[in-house]
Amino acid sequence: MGTRALVMAAYLLLPLPLAAQETDNENPAGKVVYDRWCAGCHGTDGRGEGPGALTMLPRPRDFTRALYQVRTTGSGELPTDDDIMHVINVGMPGTAMPGWEDLLSSQEREDLVTYLKSMSRFFNSSPPPAQLEFSNAPRVSDDRIAEGAEIYEQVECSKCHGRSGRADGPSAPTQKDDSDLPIYPANLTQNWRFNGGGTVEDIYRVLRTGLDGTPMPTFSDLIDAGVITDDQLWNLAHYVRSLSPEESPRIREVITAANVGDGEGGLPTSPTDERWETVDKFYIPLVGQIVVKPRWFNPRVQNLWVQALHDSADVAMLVSWSDPSRSPNEEWAPFAQQIVEAMGPKDEGSTWAPGAPDQLVVQFPLTLPTGMERPYFLQGDARRPAYLWSWRSDHDRAVEMVARGLGTGQEQPASSQQVSAEAAWADGEWRVLFRRSLATPDSTSDLQMPRATVVPVAFQAWDGNNGEAGNQAAVSTWYFLALEEPVPVTVLITPLAAFLLTAVLGLVVVTRAQRREKEIPGRN
Amino acid sequence: MLEISGNKGLVAFASLFALTAGCGGGEAGSGAAGGDQAAAGVVVEHPVDAATAGSVSGTVAFSGDVPTPAAIDMSDEPSCQEETGGTAVSESVLVGSEGGLANVFVYVKEGLDSSLEFPTGDPVVLDQKGCTYLPHVVGLSMGQQLTVRNSDEVLHNINATPTENRGFNRSQPQVGMEFETSFPTPEVMIPIRCDVHGWMDAYVGVTPHPYHAVSDANGVFAMDRLPPGDYLLEAWHELYGTTTQSVTVEQGGTTSVTFEFNEAMAGQPVPMGPVLVVDHTTGTMHRTIPRL
Amino acid sequence: MRFWPKEPFWQGVAVLVMAFLLIVFGIPYLPPLLGIPSAPIPNSVVVQYMLTALVGVLLWVSDNQTRWQQFKQPFHAVMVEERKKPIRMILLVLLPALIGFIAYGRVKPSLDAPPSFRAIHPAPPSSITFQGRTIEITGLENPLRTRGSLDDHYEEGKSIYYENCLACHGDLLDGLGHYSHGFNPTPLSFQDVGTIAQLAESFVFWRIAKGGVGLPNEGGPWNSAMPAWEEFLTEDEIWAVTIFLYEQAGKTPRTWEEHAEGGEH
Repeated sequence: MGTRALVMAAYLLLPLPLAAQETDNENPAGKVVYDRWCAGCHGTDGRGEGPGALTMLPRPRDFTRALYQVRTTGSGELPTDDDIMHVINVGMPGTAMPGWEDLLSSQEREDLVTYLKSMSRFFNSSPPPAQLEFSNAPRVSDDRIAEGAEIYEQVECSKCHGRSGRADGPSAPTQKDDSDLPIYPANLTQNWRFNGGGTVEDIYRVLRTGLDGTPMPTFSDLIDAGVITDDQLWNLAHYVRSLSPEESPRIREVITAANVGDGEGGLPTSPTDERWETVDKFYIPLVGQIVVKPRWFNPRVQNLWVQALHDSADVAMLVSWSDPSRSPNEEWAPFAQQIVEAMGPKDEGSTWAPGAPDQLVVQFPLTLPTGMERPYFLQGDARRPAYLWSWRSDHDRAVEMVARGLGTGQEQPASSQQVSAEAAWADGEWRVLFRRSLATPDSTSDLQMPRATVVPVAFQAWDGNNGEAGNQAAVSTWYFLALEEPVPVTVLITPLAAFLLTAVLGLVVVTRAQRREKEIPGRN
Repeated sequence: MLEISGNKGLVAFASLFALTAGCGGGEAGSGAAGGDQAAAGVVVEHPVDAATAGSVSGTVAFSGDVPTPAAIDMSDEPSCQEETGGTAVSESVLVGSEGGLANVFVYVKEGLDSSLEFPTGDPVVLDQKGCTYLPHVVGLSMGQQLTVRNSDEVLHNINATPTENRGFNRSQPQVGMEFETSFPTPEVMIPIRCDVHGWMDAYVGVTPHPYHAVSDANGVFAMDRLPPGDYLLEAWHELYGTTTQSVTVEQGGTTSVTFEFNEAMAGQPVPMGPVLVVDHTTGTMHRTIPRL
Repeated sequence: MRFWPKEPFWQGVAVLVMAFLLIVFGIPYLPPLLGIPSAPIPNSVVVQYMLTALVGVLLWVSDNQTRWQQFKQPFHAVMVEERKKPIRMILLVLLPALIGFIAYGRVKPSLDAPPSFRAIHPAPPSSITFQGRTIEITGLENPLRTRGSLDDHYEEGKSIYYENCLACHGDLLDGLGHYSHGFNPTPLSFQDVGTIAQLAESFVFWRIAKGGVGLPNEGGPWNSAMPAWEEFLTEDEIWAVTIFLYEQAGKTPRTWEEHAEGGEH
């Protein structure tokens, strides 16, 4: 936040050469701002078909249809000026739309609202929109969340969002937006990615207004028809909010694996072992692989959670992530096909074919780097190979590979396979548990895992039911895995020596001073 | 003002709407100016004298191999499965035993005196029963009330995606729920779908006059009380697109007309809603939003 | 000034305490009260500043013989006076303990991520091989600036930017695109005065054409997610997007004449 504000402050002072263009009726002030900052995605004509549009799903808003997701008005109603201004100011989390409050002056943003409205005839021919009356949020309580959970089932939110909220409902594979393009229901366990904002007030507002242009309907009719009360709708909002962590996850660079020693039955052997509940979870955001051909702008796996433990002999790493379906799945095949068509084989063509599995790669350097140098973050290169644990849902096992560039992984011979994996898919979530001994017999083709130091680690994930295969995956850059060790006693030698040395020195100085004081009292 | 291109006659009707909408005003939530005439106490008499009028009766014929309607899997919704006896099929192409094509929307496209003002007509019901829209195709005059009802014990959302009118996306998670709406601007056709049940879709045609009809299971339709004159009729089908016929209506007479659809017409753009085409060879995207 | 100590030793201590407070709390938190942006001082710099302050204090107390004697008095007293024995004993334990603790901090095994030193703008090569051809980087200017319409180049560059660069470098060109959170190091901000504003367009061309993998070792080529755009774009397209970057960020490129005058890059 701080640095961003700084950067903004720095360049607000700079002149914007193009903004100095003259404005008149043909060139209203808002058009100048729009053409410069908005047209790249939304298109000069406002139809949402700018050059950036094909890298985005859902596509950028089409202003000519005046369908706005984030509103304070009823379903199908026009937004108020404040509604449009709100989205310009704060952007839409989970999408490419940033907030513009810091970059554009309030005058520029007001001009922009006027110009956006001029793009649709509906704003001229319809009466001004009426805001819905929203009540204030009641204080959250366990009872309210429990009742919200019942309403969640009663009004069948789970049909699309799934019982666990991970967008894995039975209706999810047929969702389409107003452009007839495939769309996912929101993953309710990740409120920091909600398009309309993640607070309980935002959730309540979306329940009241729906998200126009998407399959999300308004639920205001339920209150009018007496099916539920307004207060109960708040309980539903509180329940949905409770599905996400209280605070958005922070990115930490070092994944620590505690040493469980010999106690408590050793390392967990199952991905669903209850003991994982108490192990620290590390959040790893992933983004589309857009570095080498063919690129992928629509990754389904947006983030992973990584947990790790070791017992001085073996390491166990549990990777879990939201995935609404277990690929391959016939029910999802048409959806994947539509995604591939919509996102396009932008470069050389998609390698996806029906039957593509879910995949996860955990990537290490083949040998532990001595300096800062590491293999290239996308599975290494010829000079510095990467060592991979590669898991596929169709084989349901992991194999060790050595790769010299993305997609070049060579499976090691069966005789030297050391890694094992156990996977479980339930309620829209994969949990894959990898295990390997720290030291292996094939020291040239496997990374020997050191303890008490950090090992670079990176991740790649594929959702086959989202049209992903080959280079078209979600990726991370390098993180670090640290196998914690109790501090060895030998480490204490140096500090103890320093302590003793200083103490002796102090004693010598004091003794000498006192001796001299006795010889020559009062000498200073 | 309104930007409706394509048909001069309808531009006039659209302007007419602009006048009436001016007095009505929209209500939050209703999404339209429905029932304004009644509310304002204005009773519009039918402007056509029944004694001098004529009528049109016709059939929609289908030639070629009749596609077998795809079965719909409702196993996720046991109550709908039970309601339909587990034999539900797609309504996209239904051909009667004598070759008539059902669910074709037929309306007077050109030739009507644009100064005529018609009563909005009685409310029409769009029911959701057995996870199916009843009827599958609805004809409305602009401003005519549409009552949307849920007769199922499951959640439906009703997602209307017009381009000339304002749409809506409302939820009915309980049996017996209903709401009223209407469309103030002519539009052929407005798609309505249920996102919870991917197979559920319906189409609403809105015309500026009451001269519209939907072909029945045998492909038969009729329109009456038409002023004598020459008309252009258009027939619209959700898969096979549109075709037109010119007819002459005489006083007291019934003009017969036959529309022909065939399997080769499938796959052409169906005028409705936004059609998005992505051309990957050039990386460009075109969208055709057909205007009435 | 009645709280100001009279003895040079305590005066010195007071100066050091005030210097510490000013460096650690004053510098980051006072200027923002006046609307001037500021930031906390890194610990290593704090140590440097404090050492400077200490040297200053020592210079001052040793400047005059009397003051020097007065200054030494408290040290001497602690070492020899019988009634200060408790203080003496405490110091004799505390000081070695402190040294031992610092030593422990240095030698204990660290599980932090290793520091990543990375030259953001390493020296460019004098020539590169671009799509099989050799292009001289030294002295190279953007050929599109003297050919055709600048507006057209801007528009073309804009299309290329939104199709390819947006996800990382963002709408605002601030390096905070919707993919930026997935990368470490994060994408460069072109709004930052330390990036394209102090570079020649030939440098930008080299960086775009060769991407992260084309960085010399000091640039950390294994970490950068910047693609080698020669795989995707033509020479003119790279020049066009360069024009867009400068124009949209409101910056001007350095030219080779400036280089010649200004010396090192």
